[in-house]
Amino acid sequence: MKVFNLYIFDKYGALMYYAEWNRTKKSGLTREEEAKLTYGMVSSIKSFVRIMSPHDPKEGFLYYKTNKYALHYLETPSGLKFILNTDVNAANVKELLQQIYSKIWVEYVVRDPLWSPGTPVTSELFQNKLDELVKQSPIFGIRNI
Amino acid sequence: MTEEIVFDCLHAEIVNYCLDDSNKENDFSTLEYIGFTTGYRLIERLTRDIPRFKDELETIKFICTDFWTSIYKKQVDNLRTNNQGMYVVQDKAFRFLTRISSGPKQLQQAPKFVAFTCGLVRGALSNLGINSTVTAEVQTIPACRFHIEVSRN
Repeated sequence: MKVFNLYIFDKYGALMYYAEWNRTKKSGLTREEEAKLTYGMVSSIKSFVRIMSPHDPKEGFLYYKTNKYALHYLETPSGLKFILNTDVNAANVKELLQQIYSKIWVEYVVRDPLWSPGTPVTSELFQNKLDELVKQSPIFGIRNI
Repeated sequence: MTEEIVFDCLHAEIVNYCLDDSNKENDFSTLEYIGFTTGYRLIERLTRDIPRFKDELETIKFICTDFWTSIYKKQVDNLRTNNQGMYVVQDKAFRFLTRISSGPKQLQQAPKFVAFTCGLVRGALSNLGINSTVTAEVQTIPACRFHIEVSRN
């Protein structure tokens, strides 16, 4: 199993943070263009899911899978959006996203007095803690047989 | 957990308020004074069930254990003295620095986050009858060293 990359957007669609681990193919776009495309697609899917659902959706859009990768989506009540790409076999990615939010984002970004809300994250401490969490998670460690 | 984050956020805002960009000389005195009055008041509440202290060292020890625990949820890691009124208090993971990266740019900002605590300790000691000067130094984030110099006269 593998973790490819992570986007964090704020509620206005600004890219707060980007990280990648096992990404082998680049899009050929700049970071900003790629982020805009990702954000646009995800927000379209989000509204599509809401409109097309045959019953009242509780959580709305959670993830989609292709035959090569899966895109997992977590939106917080405050409008922060966490988008994590993994391979298709990854399990419990939702828990990992929750942990990235509550244990890393809240602790090392929200509580960092040198971060001003609405600006991209540059804190090294946050980067290290995030890297640590993702690398320790079973989704990252176990190899495909 | 929730009460901690309230204190942390409030402290960060007090620091911002006292030391905004218009404050060119990096004047920590307002911040230190807020700490002083806070410490002065706080000590009444914290010592209401405690018998009188024997001597100066015992008072300082109280600051390093009970006082520190009630504010920062941990004891200090090290206390040293030259027995002539100089005390060095070391906290290896100082609460207001644990969420900050340990780069040189952040190190420049570090004094902002320890000034309040200097005042806090000075205020607490002052109400316990010890006049002192408290300074702090940060060499590597998140460790912090406080120097307490008791003034005798």
